[in-house]
Amino acid sequence: MDERETIDRDLMIRVAARDGGAFARLFEVHGPLTLGVLLRILGARGEAEEVLQEVFLQVWMQADRYDEVRSTPRGWILMLARSRALDRLRRRDSSRRREETAFEEAGEAIPPVGTERLETLERRRQVTSALGVLSPDQRRCIELAFFEGLTHTQIAERLEAPLGTVKSRILLGMNKLRQALSADA
Amino acid sequence: MSTTHTPRIEELLPAYALGALDGDELREMEEHLAGGCEECRRQLPLWQGDLEELAATVAPVEPSEMTRARVLRLAGNRPVPVLAPASRRTSWWLAAAAIVLLGLAVWGVAGQLHLRKELGSEARSLAAERDRLQRQVEVLSSEVGRLRIEAREAQSLVAERDRLLRQVEVLNREMGRVRTEVVQAKQDLQVLAAPGVQSVALAGLGPAPGAKGHTYVNPSTRSALFYAFDLPTLPDEKTYELWFIAAGKPVSAGTFAVDARGRASLRVDRMSDTQRIEAWAVTVEPRGGVPKPTGAFVLKGT
Repeated sequence: MDERETIDRDLMIRVAARDGGAFARLFEVHGPLTLGVLLRILGARGEAEEVLQEVFLQVWMQADRYDEVRSTPRGWILMLARSRALDRLRRRDSSRRREETAFEEAGEAIPPVGTERLETLERRRQVTSALGVLSPDQRRCIELAFFEGLTHTQIAERLEAPLGTVKSRILLGMNKLRQALSADA
Repeated sequence: MSTTHTPRIEELLPAYALGALDGDELREMEEHLAGGCEECRRQLPLWQGDLEELAATVAPVEPSEMTRARVLRLAGNRPVPVLAPASRRTSWWLAAAAIVLLGLAVWGVAGQLHLRKELGSEARSLAAERDRLQRQVEVLSSEVGRLRIEAREAQSLVAERDRLLRQVEVLNREMGRVRTEVVQAKQDLQVLAAPGVQSVALAGLGPAPGAKGHTYVNPSTRSALFYAFDLPTLPDEKTYELWFIAAGKPVSAGTFAVDARGRASLRVDRMSDTQRIEAWAVTVEPRGGVPKPTGAFVLKGT
Protein backbone atom coordinates (compact mmCIF):
# COMPACT_ATOMS: atom_id res chain seq x y z
CA MET A 1 0.00 0.00 0.00
CA ASP A 2 1.56 3.34 -1.05
CA GLU A 3 1.47 6.59 0.93
CA ARG A 4 -1.37 8.04 -1.14
CA GLU A 5 -3.53 5.01 -0.44
CA THR A 6 -2.77 5.14 3.30
CA ILE A 7 -3.84 8.81 3.39
CA ASP A 8 -6.98 7.98 1.39
CA ARG A 9 -7.96 5.17 3.74
CA ASP A 10 -7.49 7.47 6.71
CA LEU A 11 -9.66 10.10 4.98
CA MET A 12 -12.38 7.50 4.34
CA ILE A 13 -12.44 6.54 8.03
CA ARG A 14 -12.82 10.19 8.98
CA VAL A 15 -15.51 10.81 6.33
CA ALA A 16 -17.45 7.82 7.69
CA ALA A 17 -17.22 9.55 11.09
CA ARG A 18 -18.84 12.66 9.48
CA ASP A 19 -15.67 14.73 9.29
CA GLY A 20 -16.51 17.51 6.80
CA GLY A 21 -12.89 18.57 6.48
CA ALA A 22 -11.80 15.08 5.48
CA PHE A 23 -14.62 14.98 2.92
CA ALA A 24 -13.46 18.29 1.44
CA ARG A 25 -9.92 16.91 1.20
CA LEU A 26 -11.15 13.71 -0.45
CA PHE A 27 -13.01 15.80 -3.02
CA GLU A 28 -10.01 18.02 -3.68
CA VAL A 29 -7.83 14.94 -4.24
CA HIS A 30 -10.20 12.74 -6.26
CA GLY A 31 -12.80 15.14 -7.67
CA PRO A 32 -10.76 16.09 -10.79
CA LEU A 33 -9.95 12.50 -11.81
CA THR A 34 -13.52 11.41 -11.12
CA LEU A 35 -14.79 14.27 -13.29
CA GLY A 36 -12.28 13.25 -15.98
CA VAL A 37 -13.68 9.70 -16.00
CA LEU A 38 -17.28 10.97 -16.02
CA LEU A 39 -16.51 13.29 -18.91
CA ARG A 40 -14.78 10.45 -20.77
CA ILE A 41 -17.92 8.31 -20.42
CA LEU A 42 -20.64 10.93 -20.82
CA GLY A 43 -19.01 13.43 -23.13
CA ALA A 44 -21.12 16.35 -21.83
CA ARG A 45 -19.53 18.62 -19.24
CA GLY A 46 -22.79 19.73 -17.56
CA GLU A 47 -24.01 16.18 -17.15
CA ALA A 48 -20.61 15.00 -15.93
CA GLU A 49 -20.53 17.69 -13.22
CA GLU A 50 -24.07 16.76 -12.21
CA VAL A 51 -23.09 13.11 -11.80
CA LEU A 52 -19.94 14.17 -9.94
CA GLN A 53 -22.16 15.81 -7.32
CA GLU A 54 -24.28 12.66 -7.09
CA VAL A 55 -21.17 10.51 -6.68
CA PHE A 56 -19.76 12.60 -3.85
CA LEU A 57 -23.16 12.81 -2.20
CA GLN A 58 -23.11 9.00 -2.22
CA VAL A 59 -19.57 9.00 -0.84
CA TRP A 60 -20.65 11.32 2.00
CA MET A 61 -23.79 9.32 2.77
CA GLN A 62 -22.32 5.82 2.38
CA ALA A 63 -18.68 6.13 3.43
CA ASP A 64 -19.36 3.63 6.19
CA ARG A 65 -20.14 1.01 3.52
CA TYR A 66 -16.71 1.30 1.94
CA ASP A 67 -14.92 -2.07 2.14
CA GLU A 68 -11.15 -1.66 2.18
CA VAL A 69 -10.64 -5.34 1.30
CA ARG A 70 -12.43 -4.98 -2.00
CA SER A 71 -10.92 -1.75 -3.33
CA THR A 72 -8.90 1.35 -2.61
CA PRO A 73 -10.87 4.52 -1.76
CA ARG A 74 -9.97 5.93 -5.18
CA GLY A 75 -11.10 2.69 -6.86
CA TRP A 76 -14.36 2.76 -4.91
CA ILE A 77 -15.10 6.37 -5.91
CA LEU A 78 -14.14 5.78 -9.56
CA MET A 79 -16.28 2.65 -9.80
CA LEU A 80 -19.25 4.47 -8.23
CA ALA A 81 -18.76 7.19 -10.83
CA ARG A 82 -18.43 4.71 -13.70
CA SER A 83 -21.52 2.84 -12.63
CA ARG A 84 -23.63 6.00 -12.38
CA ALA A 85 -22.32 7.37 -15.67
CA LEU A 86 -23.00 4.10 -17.51
CA ASP A 87 -26.53 4.08 -16.10
CA ARG A 88 -27.02 7.56 -17.53
CA LEU A 89 -25.49 6.53 -20.83
CA ARG A 90 -27.81 3.55 -21.15
CA ARG A 91 -30.84 5.75 -20.46
CA ARG A 92 -29.86 8.19 -23.14
CA ASP A 93 -31.23 8.02 -26.63
CA SER A 94 -28.61 6.23 -28.69
CA SER A 95 -28.75 8.96 -31.31
CA ARG A 96 -27.57 11.42 -28.66
CA ARG A 97 -24.60 9.33 -27.73
CA ARG A 98 -21.49 11.38 -28.24
CA GLU A 99 -18.91 10.65 -30.86
CA GLU A 100 -16.10 8.64 -29.44
CA THR A 101 -13.02 10.58 -28.59
CA ALA A 102 -9.51 9.31 -28.46
CA PHE A 103 -8.38 8.03 -25.11
CA GLU A 104 -5.86 10.79 -24.56
CA GLU A 105 -8.09 13.56 -25.83
CA ALA A 106 -10.83 13.33 -23.20
CA GLY A 107 -11.21 16.20 -20.77
CA GLU A 108 -9.17 19.28 -20.25
CA ALA A 109 -5.86 18.50 -18.66
CA ILE A 110 -5.18 20.57 -15.59
CA PRO A 111 -1.78 21.97 -14.93
CA PRO A 112 0.25 20.00 -12.38
CA VAL A 113 0.38 21.89 -9.09
CA GLY A 114 2.33 20.64 -6.08
CA THR A 115 4.01 17.31 -5.51
CA GLU A 116 0.75 15.40 -5.24
CA ARG A 117 -0.33 16.27 -8.78
CA LEU A 118 3.15 15.51 -9.98
CA GLU A 119 2.98 12.05 -8.41
CA THR A 120 -0.46 11.51 -9.98
CA LEU A 121 0.86 12.56 -13.34
CA GLU A 122 3.83 10.24 -12.97
CA ARG A 123 1.58 7.29 -12.12
CA ARG A 124 -0.68 8.15 -15.02
CA ARG A 125 2.30 8.22 -17.32
CA GLN A 126 3.36 4.78 -16.06
CA VAL A 127 -0.09 3.27 -16.57
CA THR A 128 -0.47 4.88 -19.99
CA SER A 129 2.87 3.35 -20.83
CA ALA A 130 1.63 -0.04 -19.59
CA LEU A 131 -1.36 0.34 -21.88
CA GLY A 132 1.09 0.65 -24.73
CA VAL A 133 1.75 -3.09 -24.54
CA LEU A 134 -1.80 -3.74 -25.71
CA SER A 135 -2.52 -4.01 -29.39
CA PRO A 136 -4.85 -1.24 -30.66
CA ASP A 137 -7.64 -3.82 -31.09
CA GLN A 138 -7.24 -5.18 -27.57
CA ARG A 139 -7.18 -1.70 -26.11
CA ARG A 140 -10.24 -0.64 -28.12
CA CYS A 141 -12.28 -3.63 -26.90
CA ILE A 142 -11.32 -3.02 -23.27
CA GLU A 143 -12.10 0.69 -23.54
CA LEU A 144 -15.50 0.02 -25.14
CA ALA A 145 -16.37 -2.30 -22.25
CA PHE A 146 -15.02 -0.02 -19.54
CA PHE A 147 -15.99 3.44 -20.76
CA GLU A 148 -19.17 2.61 -22.65
CA GLY A 149 -20.37 -0.37 -20.64
CA LEU A 150 -20.65 -2.63 -23.71
CA THR A 151 -20.73 -6.40 -23.40
CA HIS A 152 -18.88 -8.91 -25.58
CA THR A 153 -21.84 -9.19 -27.93
CA GLN A 154 -22.37 -5.44 -28.18
CA ILE A 155 -18.67 -4.84 -28.87
CA ALA A 156 -18.70 -7.50 -31.61
CA GLU A 157 -21.71 -5.74 -33.18
CA ARG A 158 -20.13 -2.30 -32.84
CA LEU A 159 -16.83 -3.38 -34.38
CA GLU A 160 -18.45 -5.84 -36.79
CA ALA A 161 -15.98 -8.42 -35.52
CA PRO A 162 -16.57 -12.12 -34.68
CA LEU A 163 -17.69 -12.65 -31.07
CA GLY A 164 -14.88 -15.12 -30.36
CA THR A 165 -12.30 -12.60 -31.56
CA VAL A 166 -13.68 -9.93 -29.22
CA LYS A 167 -13.61 -12.34 -26.28
CA SER A 168 -10.01 -13.33 -26.88
CA ARG A 169 -8.93 -9.70 -27.40
CA ILE A 170 -10.41 -8.77 -24.02
CA LEU A 171 -8.91 -11.79 -22.24
CA LEU A 172 -5.44 -11.28 -23.74
CA GLY A 173 -5.63 -7.53 -23.23
CA MET A 174 -6.62 -7.79 -19.57
CA ASN A 175 -3.83 -10.29 -18.92
CA LYS A 176 -1.26 -8.06 -20.65
CA LEU A 177 -2.50 -5.08 -18.66
CA ARG A 178 -2.09 -7.06 -15.45
CA GLN A 179 1.47 -8.04 -16.34
CA ALA A 180 2.45 -4.52 -17.39
CA LEU A 181 0.97 -2.95 -14.26
CA SER A 182 2.66 -5.53 -12.01
CA ALA A 183 6.00 -4.84 -13.72
CA ASP A 184 5.57 -1.07 -13.26
CA ALA A 185 4.55 -1.38 -9.64
CA MET B 1 -23.75 -24.94 -8.33
CA SER B 2 -20.01 -25.58 -8.58
CA THR B 3 -17.43 -23.66 -6.55
CA THR B 4 -14.49 -25.30 -8.34
CA HIS B 5 -12.27 -22.64 -9.83
CA THR B 6 -11.89 -24.21 -13.28
CA PRO B 7 -9.71 -22.86 -16.12
CA ARG B 8 -12.93 -21.71 -17.79
CA ILE B 9 -13.86 -19.62 -14.74
CA GLU B 10 -10.31 -18.26 -14.74
CA GLU B 11 -10.90 -17.16 -18.35
CA LEU B 12 -14.27 -15.58 -17.67
CA LEU B 13 -13.19 -13.65 -14.58
CA PRO B 14 -11.36 -10.69 -16.25
CA ALA B 15 -14.28 -10.04 -18.60
CA TYR B 16 -16.68 -10.33 -15.65
CA ALA B 17 -14.68 -7.73 -13.70
CA LEU B 18 -14.79 -5.52 -16.79
CA GLY B 19 -18.58 -5.95 -17.05
CA ALA B 20 -18.29 -7.43 -20.54
CA LEU B 21 -19.97 -10.79 -19.90
CA ASP B 22 -23.52 -11.33 -21.05
CA GLY B 23 -26.00 -14.14 -21.68
CA ASP B 24 -25.12 -17.66 -20.55
CA GLU B 25 -21.56 -16.74 -19.60
CA LEU B 26 -22.78 -14.04 -17.22
CA ARG B 27 -25.28 -16.44 -15.65
CA GLU B 28 -22.61 -19.12 -15.33
CA MET B 29 -20.23 -16.69 -13.61
CA GLU B 30 -22.91 -15.32 -11.27
CA GLU B 31 -23.94 -18.82 -10.25
CA HIS B 32 -20.32 -19.72 -9.63
CA LEU B 33 -19.73 -16.61 -7.50
CA ALA B 34 -22.94 -17.26 -5.57
CA GLY B 35 -21.31 -20.57 -4.57
CA GLY B 36 -18.68 -18.57 -2.67
CA CYS B 37 -15.48 -19.33 -4.66
CA GLU B 38 -12.55 -18.18 -2.52
CA GLU B 39 -10.17 -17.85 -5.47
CA CYS B 40 -12.58 -15.55 -7.31
CA ARG B 41 -13.05 -13.55 -4.13
CA ARG B 42 -9.28 -13.11 -4.01
CA GLN B 43 -8.83 -12.30 -7.70
CA LEU B 44 -11.75 -9.97 -8.33
CA PRO B 45 -10.30 -7.04 -6.33
CA LEU B 46 -7.03 -7.47 -8.23
CA TRP B 47 -8.78 -7.19 -11.60
CA GLN B 48 -10.79 -4.26 -10.27
CA GLY B 49 -7.52 -2.67 -9.15
CA ASP B 50 -6.24 -2.94 -12.73
CA LEU B 51 -9.41 -1.30 -13.98
CA GLU B 52 -8.97 1.45 -11.42
CA GLU B 53 -5.57 2.11 -12.95
CA LEU B 54 -7.16 2.11 -16.39
CA ALA B 55 -9.67 4.74 -15.22
CA ALA B 56 -6.83 6.73 -13.71
CA THR B 57 -5.21 7.17 -17.12
CA VAL B 58 -7.94 9.66 -17.99
CA ALA B 59 -6.84 13.28 -17.73
CA PRO B 60 -8.26 14.93 -14.58
CA VAL B 61 -10.64 17.83 -15.10
CA GLU B 62 -11.04 20.57 -12.51
CA PRO B 63 -14.68 20.75 -11.36
CA SER B 64 -16.42 24.10 -11.78
CA GLU B 65 -16.62 26.42 -8.78
CA MET B 66 -20.35 25.79 -8.61
CA THR B 67 -19.92 22.03 -8.45
CA ARG B 68 -17.12 22.39 -5.93
CA ALA B 69 -19.24 24.67 -3.74
CA ARG B 70 -22.22 22.35 -3.94
CA VAL B 71 -20.22 19.25 -3.10
CA LEU B 72 -18.47 20.92 -0.18
CA ARG B 73 -21.79 22.21 1.15
CA LEU B 74 -22.93 18.57 1.38
CA ALA B 75 -20.67 18.13 4.37
CA GLY B 76 -21.23 21.60 5.78
CA ASN B 77 -18.03 23.03 4.28
CA ARG B 78 -17.79 26.49 2.83
CA PRO B 79 -15.28 27.02 0.03
CA VAL B 80 -12.94 29.85 1.03
CA PRO B 81 -10.91 31.71 -1.59
CA VAL B 82 -7.23 31.74 -0.72
CA LEU B 83 -5.80 35.27 -0.29
CA ALA B 84 -2.12 36.22 -0.23
CA PRO B 85 -0.95 37.22 3.28
CA ALA B 86 -0.58 41.01 3.77
CA SER B 87 2.84 42.46 4.48
CA ARG B 88 3.55 43.51 8.04
CA ARG B 89 5.60 46.49 6.93
CA THR B 90 3.62 49.66 7.70
CA SER B 91 5.17 51.61 4.88
CA TRP B 92 3.65 49.21 2.38
CA TRP B 93 0.31 48.96 4.16
CA LEU B 94 -1.66 51.43 2.08
CA ALA B 95 -0.28 50.18 -1.22
CA ALA B 96 -0.80 46.57 -0.19
CA ALA B 97 -4.34 47.36 0.97
CA ALA B 98 -5.09 49.12 -2.29
CA ILE B 99 -3.73 46.18 -4.28
CA VAL B 100 -5.69 43.71 -2.21
CA LEU B 101 -8.89 45.78 -2.54
CA LEU B 102 -8.36 46.16 -6.27
CA GLY B 103 -7.64 42.48 -6.52
CA LEU B 104 -10.76 41.64 -4.57
CA ALA B 105 -12.83 43.95 -6.75
CA VAL B 106 -11.48 42.37 -9.94
CA TRP B 107 -11.86 38.91 -8.43
CA GLY B 108 -15.41 39.79 -7.42
CA VAL B 109 -16.42 41.06 -10.84
CA ALA B 110 -14.69 38.16 -12.59
CA GLY B 111 -16.26 35.79 -10.11
CA GLN B 112 -19.69 37.26 -10.74
CA LEU B 113 -19.25 37.02 -14.49
CA HIS B 114 -18.00 33.45 -14.13
CA LEU B 115 -20.82 32.64 -11.74
CA ARG B 116 -23.38 34.16 -14.12
CA LYS B 117 -21.96 32.10 -16.97
CA GLU B 118 -22.03 28.96 -14.80
CA LEU B 119 -25.57 29.76 -13.68
CA GLY B 120 -26.67 30.30 -17.28
CA SER B 121 -25.12 27.01 -18.31
CA GLU B 122 -26.61 25.27 -15.28
CA ALA B 123 -30.04 26.78 -16.02
CA ARG B 124 -29.88 25.62 -19.64
CA SER B 125 -28.82 22.18 -18.54
CA LEU B 126 -31.65 22.03 -15.98
CA ALA B 127 -34.18 23.29 -18.54
CA ALA B 128 -33.04 20.61 -21.01
CA GLU B 129 -33.30 17.98 -18.27
CA ARG B 130 -36.76 19.27 -17.31
CA ASP B 131 -37.88 19.11 -20.97
CA ARG B 132 -36.49 15.59 -21.26
CA LEU B 133 -38.31 14.52 -18.11
CA GLN B 134 -41.51 16.17 -19.33
CA ARG B 135 -41.25 14.25 -22.58
CA GLN B 136 -40.69 11.07 -20.61
CA VAL B 137 -43.72 11.84 -18.44
CA GLU B 138 -45.81 12.41 -21.58
CA VAL B 139 -44.63 9.14 -23.12
CA LEU B 140 -45.27 7.28 -19.86
CA SER B 141 -48.71 8.89 -19.43
CA SER B 142 -49.66 7.87 -22.92
CA GLU B 143 -48.33 4.36 -22.24
CA VAL B 144 -50.30 4.18 -18.97
CA GLY B 145 -53.45 5.29 -20.85
CA ARG B 146 -52.88 2.63 -23.49
CA LEU B 147 -52.31 -0.03 -20.85
CA ARG B 148 -55.49 1.03 -19.02
CA ILE B 149 -57.51 0.68 -22.23
CA GLU B 150 -55.91 -2.71 -22.86
CA ALA B 151 -56.65 -3.75 -19.27
CA ARG B 152 -60.30 -2.73 -19.69
CA GLU B 153 -60.49 -4.62 -22.98
CA ALA B 154 -58.90 -7.66 -21.35
CA GLN B 155 -61.40 -7.45 -18.47
CA SER B 156 -64.26 -7.19 -20.93
CA LEU B 157 -62.93 -10.19 -22.89
CA VAL B 158 -62.59 -12.21 -19.68
CA ALA B 159 -66.20 -11.32 -18.72
CA GLU B 160 -67.39 -12.29 -22.22
CA ARG B 161 -65.48 -15.59 -22.01
CA ASP B 162 -67.04 -16.33 -18.58
CA ARG B 163 -70.50 -15.51 -19.95
CA LEU B 164 -69.97 -17.83 -22.92
CA LEU B 165 -68.65 -20.58 -20.65
CA ARG B 166 -71.80 -20.28 -18.50
CA GLN B 167 -73.93 -20.41 -21.65
CA VAL B 168 -72.08 -23.52 -22.84
CA GLU B 169 -72.65 -25.09 -19.43
CA VAL B 170 -76.41 -24.33 -19.62
CA LEU B 171 -76.58 -25.68 -23.18
CA ASN B 172 -74.69 -28.83 -22.15
CA ARG B 173 -77.16 -29.42 -19.34
CA GLU B 174 -80.07 -28.77 -21.71
CA MET B 175 -78.59 -31.17 -24.27
CA GLY B 176 -78.19 -33.83 -21.57
CA ARG B 177 -81.80 -33.36 -20.55
CA VAL B 178 -83.02 -33.56 -24.17
CA ARG B 179 -80.94 -36.70 -24.78
CA THR B 180 -82.50 -38.32 -21.70
CA GLU B 181 -85.96 -37.32 -22.94
CA VAL B 182 -85.26 -38.73 -26.40
CA VAL B 183 -84.06 -42.03 -24.91
CA GLN B 184 -87.13 -42.14 -22.70
CA ALA B 185 -89.43 -41.31 -25.63
CA LYS B 186 -87.84 -44.11 -27.69
CA GLN B 187 -88.36 -46.55 -24.85
CA ASP B 188 -91.97 -45.37 -24.44
CA LEU B 189 -92.49 -45.78 -28.14
CA GLN B 190 -91.20 -49.35 -27.97
CA VAL B 191 -93.93 -50.06 -25.39
CA LEU B 192 -96.67 -48.44 -27.47
CA ALA B 193 -95.71 -49.43 -31.00
CA ALA B 194 -96.18 -53.18 -30.64
CA PRO B 195 -99.00 -55.60 -31.45
CA GLY B 196 -101.23 -56.68 -28.59
CA VAL B 197 -100.89 -53.51 -26.51
CA GLN B 198 -103.77 -53.22 -24.10
CA SER B 199 -105.08 -49.89 -22.88
CA VAL B 200 -107.08 -49.11 -19.77
CA ALA B 201 -108.74 -45.74 -19.00
CA LEU B 202 -108.77 -44.60 -15.36
CA ALA B 203 -111.40 -42.21 -13.95
CA GLY B 204 -111.22 -39.85 -10.96
CA LEU B 205 -112.69 -40.90 -7.64
CA GLY B 206 -113.50 -39.30 -4.27
CA PRO B 207 -111.11 -36.40 -3.61
CA ALA B 208 -110.24 -35.95 -7.35
CA PRO B 209 -113.41 -36.49 -9.40
CA GLY B 210 -112.09 -34.53 -12.42
CA ALA B 211 -108.85 -36.52 -12.67
CA LYS B 212 -108.15 -38.94 -15.55
CA GLY B 213 -105.58 -41.47 -16.51
CA HIS B 214 -104.72 -44.34 -18.77
CA THR B 215 -102.29 -47.23 -19.02
CA TYR B 216 -100.81 -49.06 -21.98
CA VAL B 217 -99.60 -52.57 -21.25
CA ASN B 218 -97.25 -54.46 -23.57
CA PRO B 219 -97.51 -58.14 -22.59
CA SER B 220 -94.61 -59.19 -24.80
CA THR B 221 -92.11 -56.90 -22.99
CA ARG B 222 -93.99 -57.09 -19.67
CA SER B 223 -93.95 -53.35 -19.39
CA ALA B 224 -96.55 -50.60 -19.13
CA LEU B 225 -96.89 -46.84 -19.49
CA PHE B 226 -99.14 -44.83 -17.20
CA TYR B 227 -100.29 -41.22 -17.71
CA ALA B 228 -102.30 -39.12 -15.22
CA PHE B 229 -104.01 -35.75 -15.72
CA ASP B 230 -105.57 -33.15 -13.40
CA LEU B 231 -104.52 -34.75 -10.13
CA PRO B 232 -104.14 -32.30 -7.21
CA THR B 233 -100.64 -31.60 -5.86
CA LEU B 234 -99.90 -33.46 -2.60
CA PRO B 235 -98.15 -32.23 0.55
CA ASP B 236 -94.48 -33.31 0.90
CA GLU B 237 -95.19 -36.17 3.29
CA LYS B 238 -97.63 -37.81 0.82
CA THR B 239 -97.18 -39.53 -2.56
CA TYR B 240 -99.30 -41.10 -5.26
CA GLU B 241 -98.88 -44.86 -5.71
CA LEU B 242 -99.94 -46.83 -8.82
CA TRP B 243 -101.31 -50.35 -8.45
CA PHE B 244 -102.44 -53.09 -10.77
CA ILE B 245 -104.72 -55.81 -9.46
CA ALA B 246 -103.93 -59.28 -10.74
CA ALA B 247 -105.65 -62.43 -9.48
CA GLY B 248 -107.44 -60.32 -6.90
CA LYS B 249 -104.23 -58.98 -5.34
CA PRO B 250 -102.91 -55.38 -5.62
CA VAL B 251 -99.29 -55.12 -6.81
CA SER B 252 -97.39 -51.83 -6.46
CA ALA B 253 -96.21 -50.39 -9.82
CA GLY B 254 -94.34 -47.46 -8.24
CA THR B 255 -94.90 -44.03 -6.73
CA PHE B 256 -95.07 -40.70 -8.52
CA ALA B 257 -95.67 -36.97 -8.04
CA VAL B 258 -97.52 -34.59 -10.34
CA ASP B 259 -96.27 -31.39 -11.95
CA ALA B 260 -97.83 -27.94 -11.47
CA ARG B 261 -100.55 -28.79 -14.00
CA GLY B 262 -101.44 -32.05 -12.22
CA ARG B 263 -99.76 -34.27 -14.82
CA ALA B 264 -97.56 -37.32 -14.34
CA SER B 265 -96.23 -40.32 -16.21
CA LEU B 266 -94.71 -43.55 -15.04
CA ARG B 267 -93.04 -46.40 -16.82
CA VAL B 268 -93.45 -49.86 -15.30
CA ASP B 269 -90.95 -52.59 -16.24
CA ARG B 270 -90.44 -56.24 -15.33
CA MET B 271 -94.10 -56.71 -14.42
CA SER B 272 -94.78 -60.05 -12.70
CA ASP B 273 -98.06 -60.79 -14.49
CA THR B 274 -99.51 -58.92 -17.43
CA GLN B 275 -102.04 -61.56 -18.55
CA ARG B 276 -104.31 -61.54 -15.56
CA ILE B 277 -104.55 -57.79 -14.80
CA GLU B 278 -108.07 -56.99 -13.73
CA ALA B 279 -107.78 -53.31 -12.86
CA TRP B 280 -105.44 -50.31 -12.36
CA ALA B 281 -105.74 -47.86 -9.46
CA VAL B 282 -103.98 -44.92 -7.84
CA THR B 283 -104.02 -44.25 -4.08
CA VAL B 284 -102.62 -41.53 -1.85
CA GLU B 285 -99.96 -43.03 0.47
CA PRO B 286 -97.27 -41.91 2.92
CA ARG B 287 -94.03 -40.63 1.29
CA GLY B 288 -91.93 -43.56 0.02
CA GLY B 289 -94.96 -45.79 -0.71
CA VAL B 290 -96.36 -48.89 0.98
CA PRO B 291 -96.56 -52.59 -0.04
CA LYS B 292 -100.36 -52.67 0.19
CA PRO B 293 -102.79 -49.80 -0.45
CA THR B 294 -103.89 -47.97 2.73
CA GLY B 295 -105.10 -44.58 1.47
CA ALA B 296 -108.03 -43.26 -0.52
CA PHE B 297 -108.39 -44.27 -4.22
CA VAL B 298 -108.15 -41.24 -6.53
CA LEU B 299 -108.12 -43.06 -9.91
CA LYS B 300 -109.40 -46.43 -10.98
CA GLY B 301 -110.01 -48.27 -14.28
CA THR B 302 -110.74 -51.80 -15.42
